Amino acid sequence: MKIILDRPRCEGHGLCEEAAPRLMHLDDEGELILDIEDITENDLDSAKASVRVCPVAALRLE
Amino acid sequence: MTTATPHRIVVVGNGIAGLTASDSLRTAGFDGELTIIGDEYHPPYSRPALSKAALLDDGEMTSHHLPAPTHEASEILGVSASSLDTDNKVVGLADGSEVPYDALVIASGSRARRLGSGDAGEAERELTLRTLDDALVLRQRIATQPSVVVLGGGALGMEIASGCLDAGCAVTLVSSDPPLVRQLGSHLSEYFLAAARRRGLTIATSPAREVHHREAHSRVVLADGSSLEAELVISAVGDLPNTEWLQSSGLLLGAALRVDSRGRVAPDIVAAGDVAAFPTARGIRRVPLWTSAIEQSKVAALTLVRGNDAPELSFQPYFWTEQFGLSLKASGYLPLAGDPEVLEGDLREDKALLRWSHDDGTGTAVAINYRIPIPKLRRLSSALAAAVSPAA
Repeated sequence: MKIILDRPRCEGHGLCEEAAPRLMHLDDEGELILDIEDITENDLDSAKASVRVCPVAALRLE
Repeated sequence: MTTATPHRIVVVGNGIAGLTASDSLRTAGFDGELTIIGDEYHPPYSRPALSKAALLDDGEMTSHHLPAPTHEASEILGVSASSLDTDNKVVGLADGSEVPYDALVIASGSRARRLGSGDAGEAERELTLRTLDDALVLRQRIATQPSVVVLGGGALGMEIASGCLDAGCAVTLVSSDPPLVRQLGSHLSEYFLAAARRRGLTIATSPAREVHHREAHSRVVLADGSSLEAELVISAVGDLPNTEWLQSSGLLLGAALRVDSRGRVAPDIVAAGDVAAFPTARGIRRVPLWTSAIEQSKVAALTLVRGNDAPELSFQPYFWTEQFGLSLKASGYLPLAGDPEVLEGDLREDKALLRWSHDDGTGTAVAINYRIPIPKLRRLSSALAAAVSPAA
């Protein structure tokens, strides 16, 4: 599975980083950086949690 | 405590709390039968978005959309739960049917408090903004740029007022307290009020006593005897937990549904989200906010599967609002007394990172028009003042 960022929707809350710090982080400018886009079984739960916690649905899993 | 993993779990509520609880049950390994009961027909959506971006979406409204659920639950939508029998472990629904459970998640949320009687005719004319349907109606009504009176100076009232102004409406906000003072404290209240006035918001400080709905105009009578006329009156005067269906369940303390630090109400019943009053560092209270619902639901779901091996809720308040061209993000308890320490930027330039220290040694970090990852904002709020000063 792949995690996909809809950048215009992102408001930079960073709740996703809190849910999945291994997969993504906000940089110094507050822009979300996906560190790992291809999600393996090991990261699936945290990837799902990061998608779910976003209040503006800027992330999705495909 | 729970001796075996239940086979059939029923979740009452299809908002973010019910959705997160269902997701979390699956993540925790629950592979039994999962049923979600929701009184709205819509799939789960982002409620915070309704009073922010969604009011202003051009064309089709999409800002509230959430990704499709993956919990593979059976969904019973468009019908509300009307009773709970804990002896026989059955949820009664408004259509007369019954849904049995081994374990239950109560996530029935809250609803908008109304000033009027709530009679069908009156409720139709007293607009609120709580559900997706409310938002669709409001968007349609403000499209013709009517004059608007907003009752209530909390975050929701101010967001609605801001959205209506942006849509081109003349807006008066009625609030007996200075707007946002109870949510944010006087320092930020004054700051937001100044921004709101610059954008054209009119404030009436006398409390509303009566609202008379007429064909084309409504009249709001204020306590000082004056009155306001508007084509649209929108109330944003708080929320009430949906606990009526639990009245004969024996689970309520007055109207309150109290849970322990793991979301438990009874051995096989947990509750989470806007409906639940839970232990916080500032006492047992409901915290009807997005991240609160999510954090509570994760803990509550784990508790059903793992019992006391589930971690206790470690609640860290997170609040955000967008209004009058300002975006605020706050980590830590609110409201805020006194003046802040300025960590970065300057409020006079509408971009700042601020921190208030509390007597108990914790703090609250607030970012205004300042993009900062939540983990960093959380660290600033919890760290000792000395450790974050001067530049973090």
